[in-house]
Amino acid sequence: MKITIDWLKEHIDTDLSAEEIGARLTMAGLELDGLQRLDAGLEKVVVGFLEEVKPHPDAERLTLCRVRIGEERLAVVCGARNHTAGDKVAVACIGAELPNGMKILESKIRGVTSQGMLCSLRELGLASESDGILLLPASVTEGEGIARVLGRDKVVLELGITPNRGDCLGVRGVARELGAITGRPLRPLPEIRHLPTSAAKPEIRIEDGAGCPRYAGRIVRNVRVGPSPEWLRARLEAVGLRAINNVVDVTNYVMMDLDHPMHAFDLATIELPVVVRKAQEGEMLRTLDGLEKKLAASMTVIADTQKPLALAGIMGGEASGVTEATTDILLEAAFFDPIATARTGRRLELLSDSRHRFERGVDPEGLVTAMEQATRLILELAGGEAGPITLVDAGTWQAPKPVRFRPERINRLGGVALEPGVMREMLVRLGCAVEPDGDLFSATPPSWRHDLRLEEDLLEEIIRLHGYDNVPTTLPRVPAEPPAPDPMHGLMGRIRGLLVGQGYLEAINYVFVAPLMQGRFNKRLTPLALLNPLSEEQSALRTDLCAGLVEAAQRNLNRGNQRLRLFELGRVFLPDATGEVVERERLAGLLTGPVEEANPHGAARQVDFFDLKGDLEGFFYQLTGTGPTLREGEVDFLHPRRQARLLLADGSEVGWMGQLHPALQEELDLRREIYLFEIDLEPLARVKKRRAVEGSESRFPSIQSDLTFVLPMRVQAGDLLAEATHTDDRWIRRATIASIYTGEGVPEGMKSVSLSLLLQADDRTLTDAESRELSERVVVRMRDRFGASLR
Amino acid sequence: MHELLAQLKRTALAELESATSPGELEGIRVKTLGKKGALTQILRGLGQVPEGERPAIGALANELKSAFEVVFARCEKELKKHELAARLDREWVDITLPGRPRPSGGVHPVTRAFGEIIAIFTAMGFPPASGPEVESDWHNFEALNIPPDHPAREMHDTFYLPPGPGGGKRLLRTHTSPVQIRVMLERKPPLRVIAPGRVFRCDSDLTHTPMFHQVEGFMVDEGVNFGQLKGVLEVFLTRFFERSLPVRFRPSFFPFTEPSAEVDMGCLFCEGSGCRICKRTGWLEVLGCGMIHPAVLANVGIDRERYSGFAFGMGADRLAMLKYGITDLRAMFDNDVRFLGRQA
Repeated sequence: MKITIDWLKEHIDTDLSAEEIGARLTMAGLELDGLQRLDAGLEKVVVGFLEEVKPHPDAERLTLCRVRIGEERLAVVCGARNHTAGDKVAVACIGAELPNGMKILESKIRGVTSQGMLCSLRELGLASESDGILLLPASVTEGEGIARVLGRDKVVLELGITPNRGDCLGVRGVARELGAITGRPLRPLPEIRHLPTSAAKPEIRIEDGAGCPRYAGRIVRNVRVGPSPEWLRARLEAVGLRAINNVVDVTNYVMMDLDHPMHAFDLATIELPVVVRKAQEGEMLRTLDGLEKKLAASMTVIADTQKPLALAGIMGGEASGVTEATTDILLEAAFFDPIATARTGRRLELLSDSRHRFERGVDPEGLVTAMEQATRLILELAGGEAGPITLVDAGTWQAPKPVRFRPERINRLGGVALEPGVMREMLVRLGCAVEPDGDLFSATPPSWRHDLRLEEDLLEEIIRLHGYDNVPTTLPRVPAEPPAPDPMHGLMGRIRGLLVGQGYLEAINYVFVAPLMQGRFNKRLTPLALLNPLSEEQSALRTDLCAGLVEAAQRNLNRGNQRLRLFELGRVFLPDATGEVVERERLAGLLTGPVEEANPHGAARQVDFFDLKGDLEGFFYQLTGTGPTLREGEVDFLHPRRQARLLLADGSEVGWMGQLHPALQEELDLRREIYLFEIDLEPLARVKKRRAVEGSESRFPSIQSDLTFVLPMRVQAGDLLAEATHTDDRWIRRATIASIYTGEGVPEGMKSVSLSLLLQADDRTLTDAESRELSERVVVRMRDRFGASLR
Repeated sequence: MHELLAQLKRTALAELESATSPGELEGIRVKTLGKKGALTQILRGLGQVPEGERPAIGALANELKSAFEVVFARCEKELKKHELAARLDREWVDITLPGRPRPSGGVHPVTRAFGEIIAIFTAMGFPPASGPEVESDWHNFEALNIPPDHPAREMHDTFYLPPGPGGGKRLLRTHTSPVQIRVMLERKPPLRVIAPGRVFRCDSDLTHTPMFHQVEGFMVDEGVNFGQLKGVLEVFLTRFFERSLPVRFRPSFFPFTEPSAEVDMGCLFCEGSGCRICKRTGWLEVLGCGMIHPAVLANVGIDRERYSGFAFGMGADRLAMLKYGITDLRAMFDNDVRFLGRQA
């Protein structure tokens, strides 16, 4: 909310500068969001009188002006054409630095010295376009600062008002707060001298007392609707409101001044009496924003005998609004229920300054004051005859209850040591009535403070006036027992460490996905859709992590980042059969591009299935003590022949790995093979890492025996190696694949595989005969089991 | 024969001295001392030498052999040294060529910030806890003293989900405060916990992402007060930013705390003199906090006369950006490997 310092000073006497006021309010809870001097750049611009205007001797388009500012005379060259001798103008004197940054220096223009500049509204920063220089009315005083003449001699404070402080959404409320902080009283409001000069008194009925506990109305006849005077327009504009006409401007002014929204109806459009009632379901009302609103039975409206006139506390109706043709008005000041106002406003998605205030709570005792001040201004600015006020009280508003407080508890919770008398005095400064109550006190909050209901609320008031910064800082004791570690948190930390060590970068994707993209991956589950997504692209909750990683890969590849190693840890949201959503922690990774970045030391190959498998083997080994077991997989968005299910040592499945299906790769316009994996963390968190079994390595020499077989293409290496080692579990320590060859010399559908056997005994050196015998047994077993022949 | 041997010695030694490679040396040895070499040829004529002179000739031949070996060894050593020097020179590498790239991995800056924050609070006795990201309206709002239609709900632009099987309103949590509620319902005081996690608000512009990260924390015990809250947060900020900066507490409003405060620290970039990042105020808003509202304690069945508590919350993304010098919020969840690699 914006206020101006001059306006504030009408309500309180203070010597503080604008900056100091902003700082004091900030530290009391009204945060200064901005401070703007409207006269910035206008300091050396004053009213001048054009004594003489003649053509420039050397330039057809320029004029040479003699400007009088009191005793002083300036020669000014001007390029505009709309001025003549006798005009009053805005003169920027030497040394001025205008709002657009232009510096005024004494200069020669086509050989003639110019001692200033005649300004247009644009040059003064007051309009984006202007035609010629600004011509001022004859009534302005020569030499006076232009900022003052134009109502720009203002400092605007922009304050962030929290939702509990609806009472500070008006200049007087802010002044009251400043008074409580600085210990200064408020100035009285302007005296009300007018008496009713008309007998016209509106009949008003409240039928919806819950929505409208209090309503005041008054008729003013024979007003002259027209533009507001400059001071009023300038004030409204300074705080961000548009001037409309004197009657409407007064209602807005009172709202900004006293924090009490008001409304003026054109009496000619109303069939009295006024009835405050619930709307009829489906009833229509065209509000002042020009939009037709369909009302619901829960909403409160101001109506006459025929039709709804306004949405209570939110916005007036277009048909009953004040126009240039209006002569008689009905003024409204009311107290509408905060929650009812909020509900209606939200349902209709209608924001207004009035709603903003009513839903935070205005002063229920302030209706008559607001009405009288508004009447005073209307009579002053638009004339007319005011009738008596009709004030209706539905009896539904309850005055604030006294709040008991224990000074000892205030000190204990606040960590302060204040005397009860000091606390009491602070609360009194805020408008509370404080009475002793045994050892306790009881404070009755003022009618404008809806937020003071509990002892803790008073605690905040007391320590905030005392100053949060004055509360001594201490530390709680730390228990000696360290907190128990959280297993999932620990697992995630280890996972990150391992993958980072393998060169993976951690990605964080939004949990919202495009259903179309998600559907390309997880086809079994329909992702849970948001009811109010920001866009179709972010409208559902992800059911896996890999879709997001593939999208990240798309972006990276499009930007020329070729080599990608990414992982993500995060939740997926799996709807179950009942509609419940199950959140699971997952890990996914993505690998693509060259094994290493391009470099002059030799061309790098592209990553393949076995790069990813190698990474996962290391990863699983570190986490669980054994590598993963791979089984053929059936994930439909992966390459059917290059994918695997990942199993733990106990046989439970934890995830999958594989190459993105080439058809999907093409559909997504990805130019490279993409390798992916995704793992459920919960089974992983349950695994106890197997410690290496204590044992001694054999000290006797080992023998390496190499055997090359020709065997059918689809015999798997895993089976081959298992079979080879199982030939003799005692002496065959290890079998590995040394090389694989297909091509010339190997029949179609067959491959040549070289096995390397490591033979070793624990108690002696094996003999040549024993090693030969072992190899022969392996050859026989390979032949019987796989149809392999020695090459 | 004397003469012949002397001649051979002279020429062989001279040849050794002028040889230019170990191979050449070996050739001279074969030519001189080998089975068919010059010495053998000469000694073949030994039969014609009178017997009495033969020992002298033999001695001369031996002397020739040993002199040859000495020179040979010296020359060989010399030549090998030269040859090694020449080879090493040929093995020159351009040390200014780049190394084979081994780009290291790295965690996301948010994770890094989480890690640092969690480490500091764990040491102060606040271990991490977690809770669901899809929450009920009760846990996210009502239990935290934010009734329906309260204007404070406008501070939380909430993403809603279709109702669950029980018909309850479901939403994406707008803060990690519901974890507070869950912990307070499950355990008994004394309690100290922090809740790092992902939160969601339907707001997206230059300074807001619809998903971001928070760390909230709270403590409930007998005698917990506002001064302790200040102490814990001042220590945290000093440790996290690794320097001592001014910290100020300003009154503010959160429905779930009373009193409430916003915490500013002196701007890291201008040290309080005012810059673009602190909007010329010299202060950066980094935390929200307060004493836990009695209504919240009542909602979770904690006796508010016996116990009191404080709670605080901070944006991990913002703290990460401030600490690691990240200026573009949009880069945070874009996952460009150049950004991630630089931040690693």
